Amino acid sequence: MKRVLLSLAFLSTMAMLQLNAGEQFAMSDADRAMYAEMLENNPAEIYVEEGGEILEESLGGEEAFAKFLEVSEKDLPKYIAGFPRYIKKLGNVVGIDQVLQAMQVEQGKEKTKLKSGKMFSMLAYVKSLANDELINIDVEADEHIKASYALGKVTYMTARGGRGLACNSCHSADIVGQVLRTQPLPDLGEAAVAGTWPAYRMTKSSLRTPQRRFQGCMKNALLKVIPIGSKEMIALEVYIATLAKAKGKKIAIPGLKR
Amino acid sequence: MKRRNFIKSICAVSAVAATITPSTLLAKDMPKGGNVLTYDAAVEAITGGKAVTDSDKIKLTVPEIAENGAVVPVKVNVESPMTDADYVKSIHVLSTKNGNARCADVMLTPLNGKGYFATRVKLGGTQDVVALIEMSDGSFLRAAKPVKVTIGGCG
Amino acid sequence: MAEARKSMIKIKPKKYKVGDTVKVDFIVIHPMDTGLKKDKKTGEIKPAHFIDNITFSLDGKPFTTMKVWETVSTNPYFSVNLKVPGKGKITVDYTDNTGEKNSKSKKLKPKG
Repeated sequence: MKRVLLSLAFLSTMAMLQLNAGEQFAMSDADRAMYAEMLENNPAEIYVEEGGEILEESLGGEEAFAKFLEVSEKDLPKYIAGFPRYIKKLGNVVGIDQVLQAMQVEQGKEKTKLKSGKMFSMLAYVKSLANDELINIDVEADEHIKASYALGKVTYMTARGGRGLACNSCHSADIVGQVLRTQPLPDLGEAAVAGTWPAYRMTKSSLRTPQRRFQGCMKNALLKVIPIGSKEMIALEVYIATLAKAKGKKIAIPGLKR
Repeated sequence: MKRRNFIKSICAVSAVAATITPSTLLAKDMPKGGNVLTYDAAVEAITGGKAVTDSDKIKLTVPEIAENGAVVPVKVNVESPMTDADYVKSIHVLSTKNGNARCADVMLTPLNGKGYFATRVKLGGTQDVVALIEMSDGSFLRAAKPVKVTIGGCG
Repeated sequence: MAEARKSMIKIKPKKYKVGDTVKVDFIVIHPMDTGLKKDKKTGEIKPAHFIDNITFSLDGKPFTTMKVWETVSTNPYFSVNLKVPGKGKITVDYTDNTGEKNSKSKKLKPKG
């Protein structure tokens, strides 16, 4: 029953999107500045620190990470800023978390679930090693990443689910900026989603990864949720990364979000 | 006075709570959101009924609109030389409509250098955030600002 | 059930001299449960569990004490100033309503 009511509210809100009627509910620049200041005291930093400790103790730290990928420690930050990548050793386009799992397998250790606090912390730590680097994903690098990009774009553009919505329905250039449920819809490139997630989510009081955020959005839009670590989710991350790259965005982990 | 008895009973409860040792506090015994205190009662408890003056010496910074009520940033800056003779003794952060009007009571000393405190609070809905200040001379000052709490967004 | 609580003390700016007034920020991972919300999985009310007292000390001498309530946000943040008197150690001692005690320290290292 609740679902039906929600969708009615959604539809009527969408219908009212013409005006900036939501202005009275939208935060002012001064408000946004206060929230931006909170970035300096982000609880997620504690999780990132913890992720570094777990990585060090259980897998040998970033030195082992670099060695596994056959990248010098000096080149590691820029390399991390290019994820998701096709890793020949693993025969797939993967995210940082999947590389960590592969390392665990190689070292004969128990695999940490992708959807676990421990993995989110480690993922955030490794990604934070690339802080300040420009997002440099190269979707022409090989046929695998090319295919992943194509799949990501299709996934982003395909209308599906109860309301026939695609990611693009709310995040395309002509819709962006309009207010939905009191929030202005963001341009995923301009918002540097690929650079600022994993992030601390204030409404969830925890560290969340980009794929998990996509799942939350899908649920609300009545799209069947895509599993974390699946081909399609990684492809979505690849596509989103190119959006941020096009706007010259940098890595800044951990982020801080509503 | 009804109010005084109410506060007395609250104090009695907290006195009892203070004597319960950790080992005897089982999950089922823990206070179930029992810290209910209205804004007026909280102010009374803090000031003992003394006069409170609105003052622009207090700079209270809160967002006009909080996009989520779980994490609302609050910053208090009180103009003061912070010397032994003249300093901010305490900063009390309160809200006018939360079930428990109190958020934090901060006792400062001249070593702080500035009459400053910042934190993040939960607001159960649109209401005022209040900074109640006690100066070293025993006087009480106040500043209040409204915060509109919106709960929206997707995901 | 008490695992070591994770927290962080930050001093801003990073470079300071004796006599400067720095900002001391304390962030801690703590649920700050109000005792009014249900656990989504079990349907049971989560008992109130929140930090209730914090003491900031310099070389063992308190310079700020706080009484904290469940109305402060989860994974809270507390910020005060400190006029740097010299080299020393800042310690933040905190307890919660279950009696759990924790402590975090950071060296105060003024340059000049």
